[in-house]
Amino acid sequence: MSVNGRGVERTVSPRRSLADFLREDLGLTGTHVGCEHGVCGACTVLVDDQTARSCLLFAAQLHDARVVTVEGLTPPEGLSALQAAFRDCHALQCGFCTPGMLAAAHELLAENADPTRDEIRDAIAGNLCMCTGYVNIVRAIELAARRLGASAAAVGAQGGAAPAPPRRE
Amino acid sequence: MTRWVGAPLPRKEDARLLGGRGLYVDDVARPGLLHAAMLRSPHAHARIVAIDAAAAARRPGVHAVLTGADAAAVSRPIRPLIPTPVPLPDWCLAVDRVRYAGEAVAAVAAVDRATAEDALEQIRVEYEPLPAVVDPEAALRADSPLLYPELGTNVLWHDVFEYGDVAGAFARADGVLGERFGIQRYASTPLETFGAIAEHDAGLDTYTFWTNDQRPGLTLAILADSLGVPQSRLRLVTPDVGGAFGNKRRPAYLLVCALLARRAARPVKYLEDRLENLAALMHACNGVMDLELAYRADGTVLALRVRDVADEGKNLVSPTQHNLIKLGNIVNGYGIAAVSYEAYSVLTTKCPSGANRGIGKPFMCFAVERAMALLARRLGLDPAELRLRNYVGTGQMPYTTPPGAQYDSGDYAGTLRRALDRFDYPAAREAQARARREGRLLGIGIATSVEPAGTNLASYELVTGRRAASGSAEAAMVRVEPDGRVRASLGDPASGQGYETVVAQIVADELGVTPDDVHVERGFDSATTPWLYLSGNYSNKFSVTDVGAVLGAARAVRDKIRRIAAHRLEASAEDIELVDAVARVRGAPGRGVAMREIARTAYADVLGLPPGEPPGLEARHAYQNALAQPVGADRTVRSQLVFSNAAHCCLVEIDPRTGQVKIVRHVVVHDCGRELNPRLVEGMVHGSTVHGMGAALLEEFRYDADGQLLSATFMDYLKPTALDVPDIEVDRLEHPSPFTPLGAKGVGEGGAIPAPAAVANAVEDALAAYDVTVRSLPITPEQLWRWLVASKEAR
Repeated sequence: MSVNGRGVERTVSPRRSLADFLREDLGLTGTHVGCEHGVCGACTVLVDDQTARSCLLFAAQLHDARVVTVEGLTPPEGLSALQAAFRDCHALQCGFCTPGMLAAAHELLAENADPTRDEIRDAIAGNLCMCTGYVNIVRAIELAARRLGASAAAVGAQGGAAPAPPRRE
Repeated sequence: MTRWVGAPLPRKEDARLLGGRGLYVDDVARPGLLHAAMLRSPHAHARIVAIDAAAAARRPGVHAVLTGADAAAVSRPIRPLIPTPVPLPDWCLAVDRVRYAGEAVAAVAAVDRATAEDALEQIRVEYEPLPAVVDPEAALRADSPLLYPELGTNVLWHDVFEYGDVAGAFARADGVLGERFGIQRYASTPLETFGAIAEHDAGLDTYTFWTNDQRPGLTLAILADSLGVPQSRLRLVTPDVGGAFGNKRRPAYLLVCALLARRAARPVKYLEDRLENLAALMHACNGVMDLELAYRADGTVLALRVRDVADEGKNLVSPTQHNLIKLGNIVNGYGIAAVSYEAYSVLTTKCPSGANRGIGKPFMCFAVERAMALLARRLGLDPAELRLRNYVGTGQMPYTTPPGAQYDSGDYAGTLRRALDRFDYPAAREAQARARREGRLLGIGIATSVEPAGTNLASYELVTGRRAASGSAEAAMVRVEPDGRVRASLGDPASGQGYETVVAQIVADELGVTPDDVHVERGFDSATTPWLYLSGNYSNKFSVTDVGAVLGAARAVRDKIRRIAAHRLEASAEDIELVDAVARVRGAPGRGVAMREIARTAYADVLGLPPGEPPGLEARHAYQNALAQPVGADRTVRSQLVFSNAAHCCLVEIDPRTGQVKIVRHVVVHDCGRELNPRLVEGMVHGSTVHGMGAALLEEFRYDADGQLLSATFMDYLKPTALDVPDIEVDRLEHPSPFTPLGAKGVGEGGAIPAPAAVANAVEDALAAYDVTVRSLPITPEQLWRWLVASKEAR
């Protein structure tokens, strides 16, 4: 499979979950495990651009899949537009749900550049946050959409390429 | 000068946490790390007849096995924070008897978690089931099954406190309102479960623990005592913590890891899975409260009589705290002159009760604010007006409640008025009336509350008759490094509160640098962080003690910088000010020495120091808040120290077809004194309020009559999602406390305390036509449906 753009080839035990594979075999500890029964969303990663619960997938299922974790959503320097919006809106406290929230928000903004508040709440409804009460997470995703929309519009006005999906700042 | 304190700065923590570069306990890597798993009792109450773990120990990959009997042979029972009437040994694994479903009876350490869990299946335990006791009122009865026959009862504590002329007030009253309220078991359930790693260095005979335990001072004392090891040979490190809210404490698990690590001669990690977390870590105490208000016809409340039964589950560590923590504030924000309070702290065969955001106060507030709503109904008064007639007034501050708590500051009536204003209360009532005419069920709920901060352990003397620990204190360190950069650490490990940011703001102001110049250590390390037995992340105490510790250390360093600079500049230390990392002479900005140069002098060029000034530029400071005092002769005590307050206005709509309650609006106006970082304060209010909403509508650890937990997964135990809660509207007043170093007050619990009552009052208001009284939580669709059906049948 590819993980964060790099090819990975390993032999794994059939019962190794994707979450354990990422965390223990690859050392990508940004993916957190909160419930191991697919409810809390902390372990959410992107598999072929779709959000997936890494606690409910076996690594062995993902032959040839494209997996992106929070480490892959983070630029080498600084923060992505989405991450910066989370910081600017105080959308995280303990930070444990944050990598999964970012994955859910990333998927939403890739599909819907200008989501309504209700659409945002719907998109993150599968991710529990015990600290923020979600208020600032919703605001952060709104802000990220606004900023990304503005920068895409600026690129469009300069006759540049079509608006890119939200990538990096 | 405060340039940084009070600024809504973004957090220093965020860059690492957003990039997945935090370090939580499960991320800590140790060479040769083994993984532990625990075998847990399927019975709520049973005698352990025999355990055979030989087969498990023989399995490939298994390095150590520990049963309760093994643990009892090599360790001592866990020392309770509050001693029980007769000693009740409480080992890290159950010995001879299990007392709740999910109690750990044996543990295995193996090369990985799956191997350890496989090995558990090979352990044979023979149980002789005993009758469970689930209901706390049933546990009080003389014929109840006993958790500890040697105690002769399940009651750990029973007492009656009386303050003021209660009988006289009830005799004089125009009326008495009596009601029975209940609160369920729920928990804040931090998203990261509890975990620990223990490592034994056989050469040094030292133990190192990495854990997300939120009360390291107390835990270190327990570890030393139980392991029989001097505290000087223990080290405890707390990395990033994924939420705590009072739940993150279980010294038993650290002990199990330590004993396994010693046995296996390898480091051992144990991390709860979510099912273990929900069944066995800690539940907010459920309970029953019989409450009577004596009132005058104009709505003035003259006296309060309470019988409060706290269900401890199998909690031997800190029983009675759920009662005591309510005692001082049982009158909430009202000037009620006479109080009678009867406390029962009772054991049942359920998960241990323990600290949970707001501990005890959500029930205090639910009962008192429900009673106020019922009284308003009875008297035909607007519920806001009734409250305004009863508040402690601004002119009475600081006000001492009959049981001895001191409400230090605040404008309780002003807070409610601001909330009504923000809510547009008259317009909301009109809209509600219109909706009712259309047959819709809209309800408006008001609840207001005090929010205490800081705990005074001396108050436990009321229970035990002697003082084991007392006061309220914390410790901190500030150090200017040899290159002039600043480092700070605090004995209170954060679990999401943003202390790295706030401590940097405080230190930056004192030393004339920017928060970016101040590195605040993550978490806690007993080898380097200054700490006390009282150290930890609990009781909303940051503003009460931690700020004082940081300020004290920063000011000691600041004063030394000024002395060194004065010596260099041939000026008086009093004339030196610290601005932009330069110590300069006030009024002569051209005359100054860079902090970096002062640091070089302090560490390297020590002959340049003033005569008698010791080298180095570091200070440790422990701060004790003077409000904490011993118990008074009249049995009054300040068990908690500084009081914020809040008013919540909630609008709900109920769908009568489904029983679903939708929170349409929720306005919070709060007053936590001076806000050290308003951005973080607001975030705390949001999160805390949603904890209360979850308790109001969704969350319950429900047991059946046999003591089996029926809501043991996040599929059955429902947490609020983004779709269940509204955009919470927050406004504030700011009445600084005269009794904290910067005027700040607690803010971590203020939402969780009144929100359940506000939602419950709104639901009852929505159901006015059905004559429903909300006496307990959560208000699930099923509960609502039952009320509606019962109401129809009654007609």
